[in-house]
Amino acid sequence: MASFSSSNGKEDQVLVEKSFVRTVILNKPKAFYAAGDVVAVVHDINNGYWNSSASVFRKEYILFYLMATYCIPQASILNGIVMGAGTGFSIHGSFRVATENFILLLFVFAMPEIALGLFPDIGSSYFLSRIPGHFGNGQQNRQRHFIFISSLTEYLSLTSARLDGAEMLACGLATHFVSSVELLSLEAALHSVDSSDQPKISAVIGEYSELPMLKEQSAYNRLDVINRCFSRRTVEDILYALEQEATNEVDDWIQASLRSRKKASPISLKISLRSIREGRLQGVGQCLVREHRIDCHAMRGEVSKDFVEGCRAVILDKDRNPKWEPTRMGLVTDKMVDVYFSKVDDEDWEELKLPPRPNLPASAFAKL
Amino acid sequence: MDRAFWRARVIKNHLTQDPCTQTRSLSGAPCLEYSPPELAEPAAAFDVAAMRALLDGHNVAERDWLFGLMTQSKLFNPRRVGGRVFVAPDYNQSMEQQREMTMRRIEFLLERGVFEGWLTAGTAEGELRKLALQEVANMYDHSLAIKFGVHFFLWGGAIQFFGTERHHVKWLRDTENYVVKGCFAMTELGHGSNVRGIETVTTYDPRAREFIINTPCESAQKYWIGGAANHATHTVAFSQLNINGINQGVHAFIVQIRDADGNICPNIRIADCGHKIGLNGVDNGRIWFDNVRIPRENLLNSVADISPDGEYLSAIKDPDQRFAAFLAPLTAGRVILAASAIYSAKIGLAIAIRYALSRRAFSIAPNQPEVLLLDYPSHQQRLLPLLAKTYAMSFSANHLKMIYVKRTPELNKTIHILSSAFKASFTWHNMRTLQECREACGGQGLKTENRIGHLKGEKDVQSTFEGDNNVLMQQISKTLFAEYLVARKRNKPFKGLGLEHMNGPCPVLPQQLPSTVLRSDQFQVDAFHVRERDLLNRFAEEILQRQAQGERKEHALLSSYQLAEDLGRAFSERCVLQNFVEVEENSPAGSLKDMLALLRSMYALTCMEEDASFLRYGYLSTENAAAVRKEVAKLCSELRPHALALVNSFGIPDAYLSPIAFNWVEANSWSSVQH
Repeated sequence: MASFSSSNGKEDQVLVEKSFVRTVILNKPKAFYAAGDVVAVVHDINNGYWNSSASVFRKEYILFYLMATYCIPQASILNGIVMGAGTGFSIHGSFRVATENFILLLFVFAMPEIALGLFPDIGSSYFLSRIPGHFGNGQQNRQRHFIFISSLTEYLSLTSARLDGAEMLACGLATHFVSSVELLSLEAALHSVDSSDQPKISAVIGEYSELPMLKEQSAYNRLDVINRCFSRRTVEDILYALEQEATNEVDDWIQASLRSRKKASPISLKISLRSIREGRLQGVGQCLVREHRIDCHAMRGEVSKDFVEGCRAVILDKDRNPKWEPTRMGLVTDKMVDVYFSKVDDEDWEELKLPPRPNLPASAFAKL
Repeated sequence: MDRAFWRARVIKNHLTQDPCTQTRSLSGAPCLEYSPPELAEPAAAFDVAAMRALLDGHNVAERDWLFGLMTQSKLFNPRRVGGRVFVAPDYNQSMEQQREMTMRRIEFLLERGVFEGWLTAGTAEGELRKLALQEVANMYDHSLAIKFGVHFFLWGGAIQFFGTERHHVKWLRDTENYVVKGCFAMTELGHGSNVRGIETVTTYDPRAREFIINTPCESAQKYWIGGAANHATHTVAFSQLNINGINQGVHAFIVQIRDADGNICPNIRIADCGHKIGLNGVDNGRIWFDNVRIPRENLLNSVADISPDGEYLSAIKDPDQRFAAFLAPLTAGRVILAASAIYSAKIGLAIAIRYALSRRAFSIAPNQPEVLLLDYPSHQQRLLPLLAKTYAMSFSANHLKMIYVKRTPELNKTIHILSSAFKASFTWHNMRTLQECREACGGQGLKTENRIGHLKGEKDVQSTFEGDNNVLMQQISKTLFAEYLVARKRNKPFKGLGLEHMNGPCPVLPQQLPSTVLRSDQFQVDAFHVRERDLLNRFAEEILQRQAQGERKEHALLSSYQLAEDLGRAFSERCVLQNFVEVEENSPAGSLKDMLALLRSMYALTCMEEDASFLRYGYLSTENAAAVRKEVAKLCSELRPHALALVNSFGIPDAYLSPIAFNWVEANSWSSVQH
């Protein structure tokens, strides 16, 4: 058992794989990540120092990679709001225990119900793109039934989605669901485990686990519509399919889904879709490298400044009325999107370089 | 110098120092451990994503979309092996089950919008997207791609190209939405490549204004008709058209063969072609027409028509020319086959090379760890030249597709010749590559789940359908001979098909061939030009001589088959080299361009080593031929450290490779045995 901290400024050295460490437990009951950092990033960008934010991201991403490929089991207890990088610190570990208090907000700068100029980051094009297309408990998904993947991925990535504990379990992003009243006993039990054997630890958590009910309005209860619409080739096709569905039946959920899409930055939607579709075929390392490139281009703003504009509209000026550029989907060319996936043409820029890992899990390798 | 030193060190490490010995001792380990190639292999020396973009050539994002889409449904039979998910059809299902699954997969792709605009978009971009998606589906399963390929490219293509407005309006939209399911009834039991010899006969009844189509004898039964045995509702039937006792040659007619409920129509008999060595997910069938009556409008009348009272009308009087004009637009099949053969070779090589980077066999000294397969120079020689050829052909397939989607009537001849040359040589290359890869994987290559062995059966058909490879290659030599006659007899320069090099003086190859010369594109291109020029001259001279002795031209062409074969190969390989040099020239200076140069040299020198013409006709001296062979071995050792990055650049998602490409120990462990 070891305690864990990510704030000592030497991220590369935080995770030391020593034999006496058996399990790492992360437990931050309130929020895992503060949105205050957004202000700092925007401040940097506005002062021309986007690269310094890029280097912070770089360290963060290396840490995610180390966690994702860590040989010692890491259990994260998710009992509150988790957003952005906080998600990254937990989701890449081996066990994610959600409670009824848990709400996940995706993406680093995710804000409730507001579509920023955002796209999947913190490795989400990796972990989101592997969401299975059926119900099941997380552990089962991982072992046997998690075989085919649903378009929930596209749905979550293109909407400012939030997930609760039950949904996290259903889609395998959480491995267990434990009632918050059991947390103290669970932690005590984990402390006394003298093993880093994954099945053993899973069994210990399993003793406290339960199967929660999905809420009526959960996206999981719309899987058929999601799969039909969000598997389409382009963002335009997806929107069209959603509109068709909306005309076929009066459905608040589809209307809401459409509205949120129409508010979002057009170029971000295109970048997001392409990124998660590439991510579905890649390993975690390649996903982080690609996402880091996208982050850097977004902050640098050579194609579109929607990122800063979104932050302005939501966090700084709070007028909630972002002016996107390009203004609509039809004006976003493939060439513009291509830029976000290429290396940054800047002498001072550094590509994300991931350290060699001896314990890469099977899933960490993938083609291109 | 640094590079040579680095190489030497890498080889030394490979041979003397197992990278794994640092972390575990061989004697202490109870059993072999899988070590992923990513750990031991050097990082890619070039941008893998850029290389993939170059290889795929177009629509990379669309390709990834479809790769992803096919992992999103149970229909694509995902299986978890060794901690990974692989998708591939269950080839252990019965033929009937496989056919049903193919149809259901098509319905899924249809519902998800994969086929949108395939027949109605009509732009070059739309056409490229269609080709890209076809290639990806083909990497999942040959049956899937062939089944919808017949429907869209053959049936749909026939309506598009042989038909006119009235057919387009009536059929294209319904075809795109699978309201009708089409097939293509050209081949007969008695006639395949020789379409003009088919025996099905159609007559016209002016009173009823109907055609009557008939199968007069058993050898006229339609054969190998994909889709006919179970699903197709309509077919394009090819038949001789007999009007008032005059045979007007082969024409195409739309015939309904099943009703909407799948019942076979009256006067149609259909039988199954049975189980095959591959493609069992396609329902190939046989069709007999028993005086089937069809409306006059069902004649696909792009080049000829019948007036209501039965008069034959055509702007092209000569039946030979009419037939050629009629079939000319139907080149999509060969273009697609050329490209798809290369993607299949990529699957084989990616699996075999990844396996060779993780499987060891024999120690070269006592108490030493066993040697990685790909560290054996002989193993490199088996796989790496094929890898270079696959790269080269990939670029040529892209080149062909680009001409094809921007085709004009003037380009018809070029497209016809290039697609014939590439279809034949690439499908042969694929079969050879799969066989080598299968053997390179040892017993593991035999398992269906490892794909390579099974792909041999699946892809074998490519060497004979859409034109028998040998017949296609003969056509190339015949065309080149015709070009020769035009140029020499009328004293005009060669123009087109890349033959312009024939107009200048013959290049002189250097006497001494050091590495720098052997690897220069100038030398390689010159050598290929010398060969093609000489073979064309020899071929033409031999034919003219035979004709002078009184042989008929057709007979003379057939008798000169040996030179014809050499010439066809020389033409095809020269085109591929030319395309490769162009791709290289268009790449910005850097590590990727350097890698292309290495691969191009490997391609060119391997061709020179393999074709006996270079020695037989003395383009190379025996010493020079030996130098070429030595250089190939050197290139093998230079490409060896890049092997992983080179197959990663194929961009094939893990799920479409196979368990031996990854942790084959875990995949075969007792714990992964399904109880």
